[in-house]
Amino acid sequence: MARVLVVDDAMFMRKMVSDALTKGGHEVVGEAQNGIEAVKFFQELKPELTTLDITMPEKDGLEALKEIMALDPSAKVIMCSALGQESKVLESIKAGAKDFVVKPFQPDRVIDAVAKAVG
Amino acid sequence: MTPEDALLKLADSSISAVAELLEMLCPGQVGPHQVAPVQAGQNPLESMPMPAVATNVAFSGNVTGGNLFAITVEGGRRLAAAMMGAEPESVEGEVELSELELSAVNEAMNQMMASAANATSAVLGYEVDITPPEQLSLASVADAEALWEGAAYMSSSSLVVCGEPCRLVQLVPQAFIIRMTRALDELGAVSPTDAESVAGGLGARAPVALTDSIRGVSVRVWAELGRARMPMGDVVGLPAGAVVELDRAADDPVDVYVNGMRFAHGRLVLVDGSEWAVHIDAVLDAATTP
Repeated sequence: MARVLVVDDAMFMRKMVSDALTKGGHEVVGEAQNGIEAVKFFQELKPELTTLDITMPEKDGLEALKEIMALDPSAKVIMCSALGQESKVLESIKAGAKDFVVKPFQPDRVIDAVAKAVG
Repeated sequence: MTPEDALLKLADSSISAVAELLEMLCPGQVGPHQVAPVQAGQNPLESMPMPAVATNVAFSGNVTGGNLFAITVEGGRRLAAAMMGAEPESVEGEVELSELELSAVNEAMNQMMASAANATSAVLGYEVDITPPEQLSLASVADAEALWEGAAYMSSSSLVVCGEPCRLVQLVPQAFIIRMTRALDELGAVSPTDAESVAGGLGARAPVALTDSIRGVSVRVWAELGRARMPMGDVVGLPAGAVVELDRAADDPVDVYVNGMRFAHGRLVLVDGSEWAVHIDAVLDAATTP
């Protein structure tokens, strides 16, 4: 079980990811809807793992990832991306993301990725 | 191949990608699609029942165009229900979608637009950048008219999802049409007559002498040995020592690119026994260069 911060600009995706994680026995400690909130909540809540959408307003997931990794190089982050964002996914992995899930995804895929990352 | 053929090929590839994604979101609820060109003065949403919700994305960079996907409000409600694990036709609601339903539909449409852009990139052979999606609420087919003012080429693809109609409208830049017809030309699929009609129809420029100021501009030139396509999971897991097969034989010509545009093809040669160089075999036809 892990304490997880869920970041996505779509309310529906936050709910879907949070529901999946809760059913998988994890605790969702917070939900953020853009990159600025993601960095702020990461500092405040100190989650064991963060799921981060790539395309978001204000500050995108890639920028937020870089700031989070600068704050805590051991941070565990899983990126969520739509099709066609291969270059950003690769950049995220280089920037320290542990894994990525491509939308649309089944709840089990999120749980597997979390289990692998906190393993 | 005529510009209209290129337009329809691009439309079919994009709506197929959208249908595939929808099939993942609501399995068994996606019907066959139809693709049609849109004539000047015709509204691409013609005969689409309203009210509807829509998402618009524009191609970014120096091209004008984009994709718009529209689905009836009832279709949106059913799609959202399917995404939340409910039976799509069992839901009933108000005229307006709830905040959560709208969020689900917008998310689905964002994923569809990414998928459509991805399909467009695959057809064109290079990555097409898109702007962040813009969500629209349409009360009548006239509401989105400003989006297609002055569009050079337009297509309208119809699809039925969860028993409700939806539509993918593509505003295609001239550059894409030229790129596609050129790619087919290289494959030997374009007859001289077709090539002339493409060039004439798209207002191709006659070669012009470069001015001195342009001659001094530095451009990136590179040669491409070949390509491979593989799942992202395999790419990030490639160990040192792995061998990735490319799509060219050892004695095939290499492509020469200038600032991202395929410009010529030629053969790799060794200069002074140690440095690579490319011997140009042929420069591609300037009449089909965007």
